[in-house]
Amino acid sequence: MKTLQLEFYKIRRRNVWLSMFAMLGIQILWGQWSMRNPKDWELESGWMSLLYSLTVLDGLMMPTIMSLLASRLADIEHKGNTYKQLKTLRSAASLYHAKALCGTVILTVLLASQAAVFILYGYYLGYEGNPDPRYYLLAYGLKFASCLSLFLLQLLLSMYFANQMIPLVIGLGGSMVALFVMFVSNYSFLPWGGILSSSLVGMDWDQTSSIIIYFYRDYSKAETAAVICIFIWVFVFYAAGRRLFTRREA
Amino acid sequence: MAVQNLIETHNLTKRYGKTLSVNTLNMKVPPGAVYGFLGPNGAGKSTTLKMVLGLVRPSAGAITLFGSPMDEKNRIYLLADTGSLIESPSYYGHLSGEENLHIIQTLKGCTKSDVDEVLKIVRLTDARNKLVGHYSLGMKQRLGLAAALLGFPKLLILDEPTNGLDPAGIQEMRELICSLPTEYGITVVVSSHLLSEIDQMADHVGIIRKGELVYQNTLESLHAHAKEQLALRVSNLTIAADLLRQDGIETQQEEGWLLLPMLEDALAAKLIRNLIEQNISLYRIEQRETSLEDIFLTLTGKESSL
Repeated sequence: MKTLQLEFYKIRRRNVWLSMFAMLGIQILWGQWSMRNPKDWELESGWMSLLYSLTVLDGLMMPTIMSLLASRLADIEHKGNTYKQLKTLRSAASLYHAKALCGTVILTVLLASQAAVFILYGYYLGYEGNPDPRYYLLAYGLKFASCLSLFLLQLLLSMYFANQMIPLVIGLGGSMVALFVMFVSNYSFLPWGGILSSSLVGMDWDQTSSIIIYFYRDYSKAETAAVICIFIWVFVFYAAGRRLFTRREA
Repeated sequence: MAVQNLIETHNLTKRYGKTLSVNTLNMKVPPGAVYGFLGPNGAGKSTTLKMVLGLVRPSAGAITLFGSPMDEKNRIYLLADTGSLIESPSYYGHLSGEENLHIIQTLKGCTKSDVDEVLKIVRLTDARNKLVGHYSLGMKQRLGLAAALLGFPKLLILDEPTNGLDPAGIQEMRELICSLPTEYGITVVVSSHLLSEIDQMADHVGIIRKGELVYQNTLESLHAHAKEQLALRVSNLTIAADLLRQDGIETQQEEGWLLLPMLEDALAAKLIRNLIEQNISLYRIEQRETSLEDIFLTLTGKESSL
């Protein structure tokens, strides 16, 4: 617990929270722009469209955001050459867990803030009815798992490479992969396609009326497998990161 | 009763691929000592100290710390009573000196007053609120020492602690290291590639060469290896050598000099008088000493850098 507290102490003045909430700011700006004149049908299916839109936005942005978060947490140790001191005071596994937990807490706060801000925004715009808590909880649960797998992958890379350009470029590449996945399929087994694969809402666009119809998806077998794959990635990246860090000599 | 060594390594070996970095090393650090770990660059000093701290896994051999064999399970427990500064200081540049020490203080579980005291010892009290990123190299080195001293551990392991310090800083660091056993009861292991530095700080010395410990004993004992000789430059070396042999003095000839063992003043005076009476001209007489540096070079190989 002390080690976890110290992780938060160490990121003082590193603007980690600011950079995370900057992403939320960008999403709010997008929301304001896209819903500046909402039509009746948009307000009618507002809560579903919100889930869909946030999934797409997060699907594209989160690989980069998670690489940024992992990099901010790990590069302070590389810059100050601190592992050789820390590893004489705590076990390598404990240090790795503290970093992973710190990032997980930040991710949780970020997603919870996003949900809270956009639900309030939905009420402000006058979306009909209330958000369905079952779908919202499930959607955020799956999104959390997808983001966690991305974060653990990036943490592994950021703790391994002293040069943070490498993990950051991989994170940015992940966003590109997600964009590609979005155009070619509803699902992907790659870690960067997890958020889009796990979307609970699908949409049909009527070209003649320009009306978008949102619906809750029924996962096919392949889509279900892609969602299960998210949890496998979480485990794989956690285990690989822990092993790599604990086995590495200072 | 035999005094328990704080560190003992038994045939400690580290191999990187085909390169043998440390070879069956048996180090013994007695309590209350300033143990100078001396060797040329690349001799295996840092690797050995990292193995002692559990930062590098030995390829073979064992380490006993405070009398207990160290393994992966008890490593952190045993290291709780140690402080270390390996190669370069560890720090968070975006935090102040005090904040950096707060992190170590929390991990070591020591008190806030310890932070104040170590800051005072390393003379960083005035710079405690300054960001470490703005510290000079010497200040960072002192902060590293302060972090190692936090909690006043029984054992302090310092790897080349004077790196990056100016001459005044080096002198201060030496004085501080020398004072640690008497003032705080801390046993110190300090590595260096500079013989003069170890000569001024240590009372025990271990000399490592190409991964092997070639000498380990007290510094006093190493000094005893230093040999004093008299050197004479005379008009005829052969006759002079014969005359001295008649007086029971064995000599050696070296580069135009006649080398004699160290003699009592009265005997030296008598022999010189004899030489002059036998018409041997005496041009020079010198007292020579095999320096510690010569001994070090002999032990570590003359090709090694100092």
